[in-house]
Amino acid sequence: MKSDVSISGRDAPPILKLESLTKRYTKRRLGGRGEELLALNGVAFLILPGTTMAVVGPSGSGKSTLALCVACLEQPTSGSIWFDGRDVMKLPENERREIRPQIQLVFQDPANSLNPRWNVLRILIEPFVLQGKIAKEEMRQRAFSLLERVGLSSRISERLPSELSGGQRQRLAIARALALEPKILILDEALSALDCSVQAQIANLLMDLQGSLGMTYLFITHDLAMAAQMADEITVIDRGRIVEGGPAEEVLREPKHESTRQLLAAVPRLTRANAHD
Amino acid sequence: MLTFLFTTLAPGNYFDEMRLNPQIAPETVAALRAQYQLDRPLPVRYLYWLNSVVHGEMGFSFAYNSAVAPILLARARNTLLLTIVATLLAWGIALPLGVWSAERRGRLPDRVLSLGTAALLVIPELGLVLGLLMFAVRSGWFPAGGMASVEFESLTFIHKVRDLALHMTLPVVALVLSALPLLIRHVRAAVADVLDAPFLLAAQGHGVPKRTLLYRYALPAAANPLISLFGFSIGGLLSGSLLIEVVMSWPGLGPLLLEAILSRDLYVVVGGVLFSTLFLAGGNFLADMLLYWADPRIRRESSLR
Amino acid sequence: MKNWHAFTRWLIALGVLHGIVLCAGFFAPYGPSEQDRKSPYLPPMRVHFVDGQGHFHLRPFVYSFRLRDGSFDQYEEDAAKPDPLRFFVSGWRYRLFGLLPSGLHLFGAETTRVYLLGSDGYGRDQFSRLLFGGQVSLLAGFLGTGFALVAGLSIGAVAGYYGGWRDDVLMRVAELFLALPWLYLLFALRAFLPLAVGPLQAFFLIIAVIGAVGWARPARLVRAVVLSAKERDFVRAARGFGATDIYLLRRHVLPETSSVLLTQAAILIPQYVMAEMTLSFLGLGVPEPVPSWGNLLSNLQQYSVLVSYWWMYLPALAIVPFFLGYLGLASSLQERGEAYKIERRGLGRLT
Repeated sequence: MKSDVSISGRDAPPILKLESLTKRYTKRRLGGRGEELLALNGVAFLILPGTTMAVVGPSGSGKSTLALCVACLEQPTSGSIWFDGRDVMKLPENERREIRPQIQLVFQDPANSLNPRWNVLRILIEPFVLQGKIAKEEMRQRAFSLLERVGLSSRISERLPSELSGGQRQRLAIARALALEPKILILDEALSALDCSVQAQIANLLMDLQGSLGMTYLFITHDLAMAAQMADEITVIDRGRIVEGGPAEEVLREPKHESTRQLLAAVPRLTRANAHD
Repeated sequence: MLTFLFTTLAPGNYFDEMRLNPQIAPETVAALRAQYQLDRPLPVRYLYWLNSVVHGEMGFSFAYNSAVAPILLARARNTLLLTIVATLLAWGIALPLGVWSAERRGRLPDRVLSLGTAALLVIPELGLVLGLLMFAVRSGWFPAGGMASVEFESLTFIHKVRDLALHMTLPVVALVLSALPLLIRHVRAAVADVLDAPFLLAAQGHGVPKRTLLYRYALPAAANPLISLFGFSIGGLLSGSLLIEVVMSWPGLGPLLLEAILSRDLYVVVGGVLFSTLFLAGGNFLADMLLYWADPRIRRESSLR
Repeated sequence: MKNWHAFTRWLIALGVLHGIVLCAGFFAPYGPSEQDRKSPYLPPMRVHFVDGQGHFHLRPFVYSFRLRDGSFDQYEEDAAKPDPLRFFVSGWRYRLFGLLPSGLHLFGAETTRVYLLGSDGYGRDQFSRLLFGGQVSLLAGFLGTGFALVAGLSIGAVAGYYGGWRDDVLMRVAELFLALPWLYLLFALRAFLPLAVGPLQAFFLIIAVIGAVGWARPARLVRAVVLSAKERDFVRAARGFGATDIYLLRRHVLPETSSVLLTQAAILIPQYVMAEMTLSFLGLGVPEPVPSWGNLLSNLQQYSVLVSYWWMYLPALAIVPFFLGYLGLASSLQERGEAYKIERRGLGRLT
């Protein structure tokens, strides 16, 4: 099922384009019989630079797999991922390694995505260490400026993740993701594990960053309300397939697919808000 | 069950590592080697050996000057006797003690038992066996080793049984004592885990009496890890029996193996290891069967395939 | 973490014990091979403070032994000749820690030899041999454990991290090794290696064999840790920054295995010391004249020794405080690692 993603009047070429992306997992079992799981089935959409695309779907719909594939951390079974005009799938590994820093991923649970044995500073300079291009002292400088940018005090640089609050941890994860100045930031349920008030804070932070850095976001969530607030375009995914897509207001106003309607129904505020219009 | 398959591979491995270092004169060696086909290349030897296994001979023992298999069988029977009795006794003690201790966990009896098992644990097996042997010698209550007294053949049946039992006591005690502390600990741990489960509380709320609760509800739930433990314990007891047999002159596989190693009687060694592995595999197989029968979940899972 | 206290206490206790053994040269009055053919199978000497006349002496003393009339192996104390113990005496030269030459010993008697734990058939002081034997046995345990852990770590890491056919093959092999009764396996491996070797070679041989048998369990545990660690998001994130496999293993995955390895070490070291003792006892390990706790016991296999000379049994108990220490260490480590719950086992005599 292809979706018609409308290009809302901007002229710039898409920064990310997915075509027929398919990911199949086989669970090997000795003796030949393997179980197959089709996580993504012919997924296609595109994202324009500087915009926020939300991919919404219920649990198990393949969202996280999508995130991993786009971030080049998982190899799709078939299909193509066009980043900045280049087909990532066809590139050799060393070139792909160049691309990965440009598409960064912020994970859902910062307790899992931050090494609990490392302190804040160590976590932040890791991207620089891995790239190996700048001097030690400069790494520290950049780390501190990253902290500032996400609204964290430099006093926490010696602390361990376990000593930070949930909101602080997620800010740290975002800061780390920004370290290598990526063009696309994928947020895989990045706000779902936070309290409501903290969610709002981080959401605002993200919006500010997008404004100041001109970043493109791929926002993955199961919460349609959040998507409504953050996104320019919404794509709905269900069981590995794209079922609907388009500009945010359109999708919310006139959901065409059953899944979309279910997601909408799960957020009473939105439907009531719509009803008032 | 896979281990059963792999035991057949195991002798192959050892065979490939063989390096002969005979101590006898070179000419004799050459003659012997020719006679026993040792001058043929390795794979050929292996084939000959396999063939011999199939024919029930399992190779040739240099020292005993006969086929290996009959020697092994006689000894194996003795080892099995010892090991089986010890296993039954050990589990017979460990299960009730473990359950009893788990029931009173945290309280005084449990702590006392823990201390006791710890005390037993820290005594090295060698020390235990030698100590028992010394005790036997000093007190004269038990024969200091061997399996039968000199007059064995001339005794009546009842006396034969009694004689056997007397000789068997110390080795069995040694084996059981060496295995007991760990068994008790693990039984206790497994049962304690299960005792915290909600379904037990529910049953208790229904008014099921304590004893039934423990044995008909809790124990079967803990059966899974316990049966795996059973498999492991057989391995441990077999290993333990090796030392004990040697020290106490119990004519089992242990002393045979040792002797064979010291005299480089390699086929016997290979055969001995093979036998012991077979025992172990058999025991584990039994355990797997038990598990299959005991845990309906496994049955259902395999029927789905 | 409250269990740091328990852990450090056990560590200190063990450290003291090991320290004594390490400085065997100092604590032992004599060298391990010093013979005195005139004093075979002397029973342990008792240290007295009060002499035959009821006088109290501040300095402890021993009596030398003389043969009881009418027997040729029964001794009794010669109360006429009290021999005071001196402390910090000079004796035969040794090298402390194998480096510093020294002649200082903790104690010694003036005229006779002091046999705290009796003597063996060659008149060698059992107490000294006990201490030196401890060096050998404990070292064997340590090195064997080190070997097994290194092997287990490498194999487990490869199996867990790369998965696929490597994982299958390696784990099947590990199952095979775990399935065999380990003592039999140990013996069999020992059997296929040359019998009559010098002490040094025998020593390393044993270590190699122990390691070759014992890698399987640590490998499985390491693999489990690696499997779960490599799925953690911070590993993924690092890959997103361009990390290579080696970096990920070194910096993120393998540090997670440290607690498993530590617990395994506390469990395996005593087990392997036991293994060395067993091998040496049966003549397959460290040969004479180098003492080890195992071969100190080996002449107990002779009936006459077993019956008459009870003090020859004492080396068997030497390991008890060590076992206790390691048991405590392992317990405190496991209580700390309850959260991991990978495998819960006590000191593994049932491998």
